Amino acid sequence: MIPTKTGKDLQMMKAAFREFYFNHGNRIEEPVRIQNREFGLMGFDGVMKRHLKFSSLGRLVASLVLETPSDVFASNAQYDFPVLPISEKGWRGADLIFDIDLKDLDLKCRLSHSYMTCFSCRSCYFSGSEDRCPKCGSNNFAEVMLPCDRCINGLKSEVSKLHRFLASDIGISPEKITTYFSGNNGFHVHVLDESFNDLNSQARADLAAYIMGIGILADVIGVRRDTHNDFRVRFPLGGLDYGWRKRISDKLGISITSERKLTKLVKELGDIEQFRKRVADIAKEMGVRIDSQVTTDVHRVFRMPGTLNSKSGLTKTLCLDLDSFDPFEESCQLSSREVAVEIMPPRLKLRLKGERFSLSEEIVRVPIFIGVYLISKGLAHAV
Amino acid sequence: MLRSLLFYKRIHNNRLATMTIRLGTADLAKYPFLNEAAEYMHQTYFNLDDLNLPELGHIVERASNRIRSEIEHGKPDFTLERHEIEILTFLVGILIIKAINSDNLTKKHCLCEALRAEKFLVHDLKTHGEPSTRKLLLFKVFKELLKMDVLPSMKYQLMFEVKVTDYLKRSHLFHEQEWKLINRLVHDGRVFLDPDETVRLIRAEVTNLLLERIKQMNPSHIPATIRGQANILKASIPMASRKLANAPSAYPPCVNHALDLMAVGENLPHSARVMLATYMLAIGKNIEEIVSLFKNAPDYDERVSRYQVEHLAGERGSRVRYLVPSCTKLRNDGLCFATSQCDGLINPVQFGRAVKYYRETNLR
Ligand code: SF4
Ligand SMILES: [Zn+2]
Ligand SMILES: [Zn+2]
Repeated sequence: MIPTKTGKDLQMMKAAFREFYFNHGNRIEEPVRIQNREFGLMGFDGVMKRHLKFSSLGRLVASLVLETPSDVFASNAQYDFPVLPISEKGWRGADLIFDIDLKDLDLKCRLSHSYMTCFSCRSCYFSGSEDRCPKCGSNNFAEVMLPCDRCINGLKSEVSKLHRFLASDIGISPEKITTYFSGNNGFHVHVLDESFNDLNSQARADLAAYIMGIGILADVIGVRRDTHNDFRVRFPLGGLDYGWRKRISDKLGISITSERKLTKLVKELGDIEQFRKRVADIAKEMGVRIDSQVTTDVHRVFRMPGTLNSKSGLTKTLCLDLDSFDPFEESCQLSSREVAVEIMPPRLKLRLKGERFSLSEEIVRVPIFIGVYLISKGLAHAV
Repeated sequence: MLRSLLFYKRIHNNRLATMTIRLGTADLAKYPFLNEAAEYMHQTYFNLDDLNLPELGHIVERASNRIRSEIEHGKPDFTLERHEIEILTFLVGILIIKAINSDNLTKKHCLCEALRAEKFLVHDLKTHGEPSTRKLLLFKVFKELLKMDVLPSMKYQLMFEVKVTDYLKRSHLFHEQEWKLINRLVHDGRVFLDPDETVRLIRAEVTNLLLERIKQMNPSHIPATIRGQANILKASIPMASRKLANAPSAYPPCVNHALDLMAVGENLPHSARVMLATYMLAIGKNIEEIVSLFKNAPDYDERVSRYQVEHLAGERGSRVRYLVPSCTKLRNDGLCFATSQCDGLINPVQFGRAVKYYRETNLR
């Protein structure tokens, strides 16, 4: 966890955020039926104000300029009374949402762009395995990361996978699926299909498990438990044509005529339990790494498109074309006014808003979008 | 349905010929809760006080026998008579239930009526000769009654297609792995089901629909014969059938979910029963109350239930009082249905307290 900002860091971030909402507040996307949404404003002191209501986008923007929160959230749910405590709000359904985050992807490039930062003595190192600061011994010490293009591509391919599941299996047409870059290390996918709105969290959990490939049985491709630990193969009614049945059977090279092959396969693996594990592994591998908690929560306040993410100073941005979308260009919307910051890591390379920066441990003048980006991650400090 | 019935005068002659029933009367016998069965009653100008007539005595007796066997064995009655008899038996049955006015028995009765229809419906979907009759039945039961589209699959013989959303809304009531969406044939927004599965999917809903009807029903008076039967039956209900006093919304989602399942007669996995019982013990319910919670379980056996609850309470065997399983454990068992009110919880018993804390910190 990166601690809340104080002193000059706080001042600089707040100034940049206020300026942004003053100039670009109109870029915020108004949620459907705004008057029925609950809003949450996170302060730079780390305290969230929830149960707020705004009857129009204009009023919301006015309060963002005035209060300058670090992060802005709106409920995925619609309520009769958004300002009341949760049990009295009168729930009227919630948008179906998905969150794909870098932390769930386990990409290999991570170590090449991670830093260890000490929040006590402010020193900064290339990632190692230390759990406390080698210089001052503090354990107020965390790993921070600057995502690279490979990270973004990894995320994108996961998002595409999600799109495919939603379209071919769940039957949601592409124009009802909206994709956003979260502003930091992830993507959000919103489904604008009202028929999903009244699903409760149990139903959403089941849908999430489907997409993640969790909880699959060997029965889906016809391997059924018999007496004891024995098994028999009987292909299911409806065959292996679609969905998970097709994914698994394709992977194993099975069709409904290959009963003998399948039997042999199970035996080779040992027994039905081993086979079930194999199927479960395949499903997990082929499933989409979404954060199921987000999808399951029908009372969540969720980052609003067009607002700033305080972990980066980038905005949550609509991706019209996922393939060509470049968050380091399109999501960087703070101004270019110059500020002085002290860079903490020994060396640092990044690309933002069409410029490449190669920085080292010293005080430099940089555009404020760079300053905020690095300060928000604890890799630089305002001077 | 009943309220409008009360305004009709009886005419003895059979007016079936002039009616616009599109389903066969045999179908109405099996599904007496369909709108068309009510229509049929309208057309016959049936009057509630007719139930006091000796010639309808056998109907009252049949209905009350059905309820007695539900009280004693918790099992539905699958005998099938002519539609005139079945529709009236159904009506008298719910009148008696209304007069007895016991939540537990009302639930049980509705569940049994649902199970009864379920059996007939499976059979009909498997065998009803004409595709058009089958379609009509699907329409009457699923679309008219439950607002759910079910279509015979064009692709697979003897399978039915339901929308993914319709499936998900109902399937989460089942804990068996095979009901998880991932273990279903899913394609292009539809789930393919065989007749048994299709019908199984709506059991809880039909039960709830009947419950709702009984709740809404507001007869001007209850005929003497019905009241008489109700009093006799009431005396035979075991004492322990009291419902819990606490408002359900005060329970954490995991507990609510388990209670919902119990209410519609779903089979709870062992781990869920342990959670429910230990939670209720932890919030101060007594053993009697907890045992009666399990009344609706399809495999309910009071002696066994009591033994198990006492065991968990530490009044038997090892004399160790069992703690409520942690949220992590429940999550791993697939029993957690966390909402944002659960933020930061380690154990379900913290639920109410956490809510308060959460409001105080965030409502500045
Ligand atoms: S988080 Fe805990 S209390 Fe909430 S539903 Fe899950 S198990 Fe129950
Ligand atoms: Zn240090
Ligand atoms: Zn990377």
